[in-house]
Amino acid sequence: MLSPILLRTGLRDLRRRPLHTGLMVLGVALGVAVVVAIDLANESARRGFARSSEAIAGRATHQVRGGPSGVPEDLLRRLRVDWGLRASAPVVEGVVVAPDLDRQPLTLLGVDPLSEGPFRTHLGSGSPAAPNLARFFDDPSAVIVGSGLANRYRLGIGSRVRLLVDDRFETVRIMGVVRDAPGASEALEGLLLMDVGAAQRLLRTEGWLSRIDMILTEAEAARLRRDLPPAVRLAPASEQAETMTQLTAAFQLNLTALSLLALVVGMFLIYNTVMFSVVQRRAVLGTLRALGTTPAQVFALILVETAAASALGSLLGLALGWFLGQGAVRLVTRTINDLYYVLSVTGAPLTAGAAVRALGFGIGAGIVSALAPALEAARVEPVAALRRSVLESAARRRVSDVALAGLALGAAGVACLLLVPSSLFASFAGLFGVVLGLALLTPAATLVLMAGIGPLAARFVGTLGRLAARTVTTSIARTGVAIAALMVAVSVTIGVSLMIQSFRSTVENWLGLTLRADLYLAAPRPARSARPPTISADLQARVRAVPGVAEVEVFRAVEVASPEGPVALSVADPRRERSADLYRFAEGSPAVIWSRVREGAVLVSEPFAHRRRIPVHGGVVTLQTDRGLHVFPVAGVFYDYASERGTVLVARPIYERYWDDRGISSLAVYLSPEASLEDVARRVRAAVAGSALQVVSTRSLRRGALRVFDRTFAVTEALRLLAVVVAFVGVWSALMALQAERTRELATLVALGLTPRRLWGLTFLETGFMGLAAGLLSFPTGALLALILVEVINVRSFGWTMRLVFEPSVFAQALLVSVAAALLASVYPVLRLGKMPVAAALRLE
Amino acid sequence: MPPLIRLDRVSKSYEEGTEVRSVLRETSATIEAGEFVAVRGRSGSGKSTLLNLLAGLDLPTAGDVFVEDACVNRLSSHDRTVFRRDRVGFVFQFFNLIPTLTVMENVQLPAELTGSGSVSANARARSLLEAVGLSDRARQFPDRLSGGEQQRVAIARALVQDARLVLADEPTGNLDDATGQVVLDLLDRFTRKAGKTLVLVTHSREVAERADRVLTIEDGHLKAAKDG
Repeated sequence: MLSPILLRTGLRDLRRRPLHTGLMVLGVALGVAVVVAIDLANESARRGFARSSEAIAGRATHQVRGGPSGVPEDLLRRLRVDWGLRASAPVVEGVVVAPDLDRQPLTLLGVDPLSEGPFRTHLGSGSPAAPNLARFFDDPSAVIVGSGLANRYRLGIGSRVRLLVDDRFETVRIMGVVRDAPGASEALEGLLLMDVGAAQRLLRTEGWLSRIDMILTEAEAARLRRDLPPAVRLAPASEQAETMTQLTAAFQLNLTALSLLALVVGMFLIYNTVMFSVVQRRAVLGTLRALGTTPAQVFALILVETAAASALGSLLGLALGWFLGQGAVRLVTRTINDLYYVLSVTGAPLTAGAAVRALGFGIGAGIVSALAPALEAARVEPVAALRRSVLESAARRRVSDVALAGLALGAAGVACLLLVPSSLFASFAGLFGVVLGLALLTPAATLVLMAGIGPLAARFVGTLGRLAARTVTTSIARTGVAIAALMVAVSVTIGVSLMIQSFRSTVENWLGLTLRADLYLAAPRPARSARPPTISADLQARVRAVPGVAEVEVFRAVEVASPEGPVALSVADPRRERSADLYRFAEGSPAVIWSRVREGAVLVSEPFAHRRRIPVHGGVVTLQTDRGLHVFPVAGVFYDYASERGTVLVARPIYERYWDDRGISSLAVYLSPEASLEDVARRVRAAVAGSALQVVSTRSLRRGALRVFDRTFAVTEALRLLAVVVAFVGVWSALMALQAERTRELATLVALGLTPRRLWGLTFLETGFMGLAAGLLSFPTGALLALILVEVINVRSFGWTMRLVFEPSVFAQALLVSVAAALLASVYPVLRLGKMPVAAALRLE
Repeated sequence: MPPLIRLDRVSKSYEEGTEVRSVLRETSATIEAGEFVAVRGRSGSGKSTLLNLLAGLDLPTAGDVFVEDACVNRLSSHDRTVFRRDRVGFVFQFFNLIPTLTVMENVQLPAELTGSGSVSANARARSLLEAVGLSDRARQFPDRLSGGEQQRVAIARALVQDARLVLADEPTGNLDDATGQVVLDLLDRFTRKAGKTLVLVTHSREVAERADRVLTIEDGHLKAAKDG
C-alpha cells in the first residue's frame, strides 16, 4: 500500500529530526525496559523455582507425606515389603543457613543413594561404586553440592561448610561436586545433598522421614490412598510446587501491573511526539494529500514511522531492561525468600520469549499510541491540512468528547471493580480504566483550572501571567497530553505512597498489638520452610530459670497438610488473652473466642480466610492430623500481616491432642515488674550461649519486621520512580513541541520588546502552570488509586485489610515533584529560546 | 468540442464563528481545453478557493464543478483523490516540495502513487527535470535549491502524470521578477504549447497578460476582466 518513495519520506523524516525521534524512541525504551526488567525477574524466579522443585521432587509421581513430625521411617519398609512398591525413595528435607556463605538459606536434601536411581540423577547412576559415594555412607558430615554454588564460593572436595541447623551450629564436609545439566544452572543452586541417615542425625529427626517419593500407576495410587494409615497421606508430586506457584502469583501479577503502568506513561509520550510530528508536518501531509496520496496511505505512513521508531526503542529497552532485570531479580528473589519460600536465582538471562514479548509490547504500544494522531492526519481534508492550526483547533473542539470518553472509561473501570469481585485481573483492568479515564478528563479539567488561574496570574504578574495561562489553554492538544502524563505518574506516586504508608502504619499498629512480651527467643528461620526450627527442651528450662523472668510463653509454627494443600499452623498458649483489636468478624468478646479456642476451635488469619473463602460465621478448617483428617470449627478471624499464605492458630493442648510433635519454635519472655530489660536480656543471652538461639527485644523484632516490609516494597519504589522519569521526558517533549509551534509568536513578542529574562519568565510560568495543574489533578486521582489499591487490589491479592491513611505530606510532596519536574523540563527549551534567530523566526509561514 | 471545465452555479461559503462569509455566489463559467486562463482578484476574493474546488481539494456549498466528464464534487473522497492524482497537476505558491525526498523523488512521487512502473516514472521524471534544466540537481534535497529552482521542480512534478489540466496558485508570488519570468516561460511551454489547460491564479497584471483569457472574481462572481 505504501510506495517506496512514500515510505522513504517517513523514514527520512525520522532521521531528519533526531530530537523528536529520540524522544519517541526514549518513551518506548523506558516503558519497555521496565516491563522487560520485571518480566525477566518474574520469569527467572519462576524458572528457578521450577528447576529447584524438579531437582527436589525428581521424577516422582506421588509423595507420601505426614504431619509436622513427618512420616515414620518404618512405613518405607512396609511400602516395599507389604505392598511390594519398590519404586520408593526416602527423603529428609530441611532448610539450613550457611552463615559463612552470605547467610544463604540452603535446602538440605537427605536421600538414599541406593533408591535414588529412578528418581533423581544428581548422584549419577547411584551405584555405591561411584567415586566418593562410599564416603556418603561412612561420613555423617558428607554432603554433595552443585557446581554453581561450589564455584561461587570456591568450595572444593574436602571444604568444610558451617551450617545453622535449628538452634545449633553444625559443620559438614563437601564430598562431591555435581555438574549442573546444561541450561539448568538453578537446579542445584542452594541444594545440599546428604545421605538420608546423616540428614536425620543432622536435623535430629531420627526415625522420621520428611516424605517418601514414589513412582506409581494410577491403580497403585488409588489402592495406596485407601490403605495408608490416617496420619499420612498420598499427594501428587506436583502439589507442593503448584501451591508455591499460586502463592507468588498475586505478588508477581502486582509487579507486572505496575510495570505496565510505566509503559502506559510511555505511551503518552509516544502519542505526544507523534501528534507533534503530525502538527509540524501538516503542510507536507497536505501536499501529499493534494498530490493524490490517499488517507489510508497517510494513516499507514504515520503508523509505519512510529513502528520503526518503536522497534528501535524496543531494542534499546530490551538492553536496558536486561540490565535493570539483574537488579530486579535480586529484589524479587529477596522478597520471595522473605515471604514465601527458599529460592536461589543467580541472574536473569534474556530469553527468546521475553525478547519477543518486549518487542510486541513496545511496537504494539507505539502503534496504539499513534492511532489517534494517524487518524487525525488521515482524516483532515488536504485543503484544511494546508492551513495552520487545524489540528490544534480540532483537538480543542474534541476536549469535551475526550472528557466524555474519560467518564465512560472511568465508569467502566468502577463497574469492573464492583461487578467482578473475585478476579484480580478484572481488578487491575478496573484500576487501569479509572486511571486512564481520569487522564482523559485532564484536558477539560485543565481548561477549568486555567480559567481560574488566568485572572489570578494577571493580577499578580500582569499580561504575561494571563498569556501563560492562555497558552496552556490554546495549546491544549499539546499541553493536555503532557499534563495528563505527568498527572498519571504523580498519581501513581501518591497512590503507591499512600498504600505503602497505610500498610506500614497498619503493620506497625498490629506489631504493637501482637508483640506484648519483653523478649523473644527463636532460632533463625530462613524462610517459610516446611520444617520449622526447633528449640531444645533444655534451653527452655534454662530461660525459665533466669532471675527476673516472670513467665515464658511457648509457640510452635509448623506446616500441616489439608485436603486443599499445606497449611501454616501456629500453636499458641491460650492462657494469655489478646487485645480485642486483633480480631474481626469475631463472635463475642476475645474472652469468648479464647474459651472456644481452648475447647478445640481454631482461629484463622485474614489472608487464610480470604484464600480459603472461609465464611464470617460457621466456617470450618479440615486438617490432616496424626490421628487422621479432623474438622476444626473456626472461632474467629484475626488480623495478621506476618504471612500472605495465611495461618491457622490452634491452642497447644488441642495441638498435643491431635499431633505427636512436642517441639517449640519460639519463646516469648515476660519480665517481673521490677526487673530491668537490659539485665534480664544479658542473663538470658548468657543462659543460651553456645546455641544459635537469637534473643531479641520487642523493639528490635519490630524493627526487623519493618525492615522486611520495606524490602518488600523496594521494587515498587523503583517502578514508581521510573514512571516519574518517563513523565518528565513527556513534559519536556511537550514543551519542545510547544515552543517549536510558537516560534513566530515568541519572536513577535521579542520584536515588540520582551526582554530575554521576561521571555524565560513567561516560559517558566507556562510550565509551572502545567506542573501545578498536573499536581492538583493528581490529588483526586492519587487518592482514588490508593483507595483501589488498599480496598480492592490488596484485599483480593493478599487478603489484607488496611486502614487507609491520607497523609497530607504525600500530597504536598507530589505537588512539589510535579511543579519541579515541569520547571526542570523547561530548562533546555528556555536555553534554546535564548538562541532563537528572531528575524528568521518572524518570517516563518 | 465540450469545454474542459464547467462551473455550474457554484457557491462556496465559510462559517466564521457565528457568521457566514460567502466567497463564491452561484457563479458559472467554462474553460476550453488548451486554454491558458488567469484568475485575478483581491486578497480573500476566492481565487485559491476556486482552484481548490477545481482540484477537488474542497467542495462547493452549492452547484457543480465539472472537469472533463467528471462532476468533481459528486465524487467520493477516495475518487477525488484518484482524480487529482491522475488528471490534475498542481503548482503551489510555496512550492510544497517534500523536504525528505530528493528532487528526483519529488518529481517521481505522483507517478509512483498511481502505481506506474518505477522505470517509466523514472524516465519521465528524468526527461522533465532535464527540460526544466535541473537534471544535475536530481539527487539533492529541496532545501539546497533556490526558490526558482524549487518552483521548477514543482512544475516538473505537476507535469509528470501528463495531466490535461494544470492548476497554478500564485506560482511566481514568492519569486523575484526574473525568476518568475523563467517559471512562467516554462509553464507556458509545457502547458499551453503542449495542448494542456492551465488555470493560473495571480495578483500580477503582467503575469495575467500572458494568458489567453483573464477572469476576475468580484463579489463572489467570476467575470471576464475588463482590462484584459
